[in-house]
Amino acid sequence: MSLKFYRRVAFGLSPNEKQDKDPLNWALNQLNSIPDLLWPGTIPTEKELRKKYGEWVYGDREVLRKKFKNDKNAYKKAKDELRIKTGERYFELNEHAIRHYQTRHSTQPVFERFWLFWGNHFAISEKDFLAEFSTGPYQREIIRPNMVKTFEEMVLSVTTSWCMIHHLDNSESFGPNSKKGMEWRETINENHARELLELHTVSPNAGYTQEDVIQLAYIMTGWSHKWSRKNLETGDVWFDQEMHQKGDKIVLGVKYKNDAKRELAKVIHDLATHPICIKFISTKLCRHFITDEPTQEMISPVIEAWNRSNGSLTEIHKAVITQAYKYNETTHKFHPPEIWLMQLSRMFDLSIPLSAKKMNYAFKSKPTSKQRQLSWILREIGNSPYRAKQPNGWSDFEIDWVSPELLLRRFWFASIELPILVKSENNSHDFIIACLKNNFEDYENMASLIHQFRFGTSDKDLGRKYGVICNLPGVLKV
Amino acid sequence: MNCTRRNFLIGGSTTLFLSGYFPKISSASMKKKNLIIISLRGGMDGLTAVPVIGDKRLKKLRKKLILEDVLKLNSDFGLHPKLEIFYKLWEKNQAAFVHATNIPYTGRSHFDGQNLMETGAHIPYKEKTGWLGRGLLASNIIGQGLAISLPMPLLLRGVPQNNNFFPSPDFVETKLIDQIYSEFKGEHNELIKSTLDTIRQRPLSMQIATDSDDRKKLALEAAKQLKDQSGPRVAVFDLDGFDTHTAQGGVDGAHADELEEVNGIVTILHENLGKAFDNTLILTLTEFGRTIKQNGGYGTEHGYGSAILMAGGLLKKSQVYTDWPGLKKKELFEGRDLNSTIDSRAVYNSAMSVCFNQDPEYLRKEVFWGDELADLSQELFKI
Repeated sequence: MSLKFYRRVAFGLSPNEKQDKDPLNWALNQLNSIPDLLWPGTIPTEKELRKKYGEWVYGDREVLRKKFKNDKNAYKKAKDELRIKTGERYFELNEHAIRHYQTRHSTQPVFERFWLFWGNHFAISEKDFLAEFSTGPYQREIIRPNMVKTFEEMVLSVTTSWCMIHHLDNSESFGPNSKKGMEWRETINENHARELLELHTVSPNAGYTQEDVIQLAYIMTGWSHKWSRKNLETGDVWFDQEMHQKGDKIVLGVKYKNDAKRELAKVIHDLATHPICIKFISTKLCRHFITDEPTQEMISPVIEAWNRSNGSLTEIHKAVITQAYKYNETTHKFHPPEIWLMQLSRMFDLSIPLSAKKMNYAFKSKPTSKQRQLSWILREIGNSPYRAKQPNGWSDFEIDWVSPELLLRRFWFASIELPILVKSENNSHDFIIACLKNNFEDYENMASLIHQFRFGTSDKDLGRKYGVICNLPGVLKV
Repeated sequence: MNCTRRNFLIGGSTTLFLSGYFPKISSASMKKKNLIIISLRGGMDGLTAVPVIGDKRLKKLRKKLILEDVLKLNSDFGLHPKLEIFYKLWEKNQAAFVHATNIPYTGRSHFDGQNLMETGAHIPYKEKTGWLGRGLLASNIIGQGLAISLPMPLLLRGVPQNNNFFPSPDFVETKLIDQIYSEFKGEHNELIKSTLDTIRQRPLSMQIATDSDDRKKLALEAAKQLKDQSGPRVAVFDLDGFDTHTAQGGVDGAHADELEEVNGIVTILHENLGKAFDNTLILTLTEFGRTIKQNGGYGTEHGYGSAILMAGGLLKKSQVYTDWPGLKKKELFEGRDLNSTIDSRAVYNSAMSVCFNQDPEYLRKEVFWGDELADLSQELFKI
């Protein structure tokens, strides 16, 4: 069986990992439980980080802007100090470290690939200070624990999470006939309702209308952050009855009786078990692991597993992996930059991320350039994971990732930055060959390619070797 | 399955090219004309950029989004104060606006809308190429599209060998690419291979490292390239952040910040294109406008009709070109959005016909499937 399966469904094999006699079972066995987060450094809770978010926005908006309204420079200085004190420049770096440490060291790398998938399916795009404080913990505390539950449970968790509610403005959505809506002459904000339909569950294939979006927005009114003078928008999520639209609602032809906070779980049940939703998400899963345009034949067993297990994500994941295994030899899949980086990190045992000790932060000065390194690389290769441009997350299509500049940046990383990340004990030609042997059937061809170019032994030539190897067709794609 | 899109991109174009399908044009002897598109993602609010000052209803519906210091264009329309370069150019007949216009898309999804503003089609995700890419292909202009963004925008797809400029922090040795180029074999590697081709043919000035976070530096390089008689003829900028559901603001605020970005790019292009600005058209593109009424968060919701901001020496005159639909409730689209009375694709089709020296009828058929699109080149552009 081809070694590329380990890269198709995971991150390749590190120098101390060997291929398994039964790769399919190796992969399937990783999906039953949630592996612990391995990062030895600090892993702050979502609530702690939300508190920091609150300190930052309150301090800036309510204190500094007022205090220094006539002194731009003093304001700037005070704001920079507040950034340091609240970790505004730090926590995202720490989240990237947690994420990449996990994909580098997890003994359940296949599970981790699904973690990345779901975090991107329920993407939080760049908005306000979400990437700085909230998107990372959302991935850890909302996405991850739900990965052994049902899809429906995952959707409900995501929809009522502070991060998603803030991301898609649901706290600004008032039922026009609700107490507050009438008092303040406010109305709905459709953003969250539309994305719940379009991106998270049934997709436009379900043929919903503008009226369906409005009705779903009505159901969702009231699910909001608890506002307070001190915490501003960073209070816990609750159901505010006084914002909720009264009356029955109809979404996709189904009537939801006036039932306050219980309406949401009911509509999510119907959306998350809708056949068009099941097909849409099954297709996305196959696209991620098999090929850009998966065939009906590839997708069907995933849909069957979904129906058989009533949406158990463990069973769905197993069906996807079984299909990925089945089509491993006959399909090709191009990997986006972050997964490529994670694979290089694992295959070549790179020192990414920085050690937990060095990532430690005292909230006294700006994060160091070393602490910023991984996040900087991610941004430069075009794939900073918690900063998708739009709520539909990062694309899973090759065509969106192949442009002169994006490819050049892979050469840039592999030939210039990667060599700095190779551990000193691994700084040899033999090490490269051993890693290739561990991960590629045609490692001899790859080795002879380096040989042909007559690279020398200087640091620069080592960089050139990596630059060439990491961008070979079989490395960019499985 | 996997190869259909690629076939169209590479195989398809080559076949068409070889079969002599294209009308012969002698573009070499003509002065090079540049077409620059600035994508404004998120839904640009035409009524914030070009407010209708002649209609009191707007102020009433947007109590918290009132604009002060509006630059007056005529008795009916004003200009957002952050768009000062457009005002400067307006006075020289080098800025104009099309108002109450949009692509023929009335859904309110960003993703569907942006897909359609780029493909120019009617069904989201159905077409895999952009109208600009197809226009270039139909005009036999190959390898002269430049995107100022990291990914290649859909808008430019459909013609091979486009370039993009968004430099990495260090110089990359392109000889590394030469060394593995021949390894990219088989149909499934075609797309990467043709992209590597483009890199290998890049001009030297594009191989330098610069700060890609600085849009102004990028605009500067784009201007340099576009000025070059043998350089690219088409450039695409990509801006986002126009989706202002909350805190949209008036003179300052979220929407104003974005308009300021547009203003900055156009300013740099104007300053650095020099005489080439006379042979240039700059047009904005967005997926939809925003609701007339402000929402609960002092922002606006996804709407329909918007505006196109235009600059460049190829404009006929300064004007707000519109068939104004009105702001009375019954005049609004679905009672909430500014209506669109001009299919914006007609503007883009006419602009391409002017810049690519093509018959608009021919482009309409080749690029927009023969859809009913008025030829506006006489009204809007110098021909």
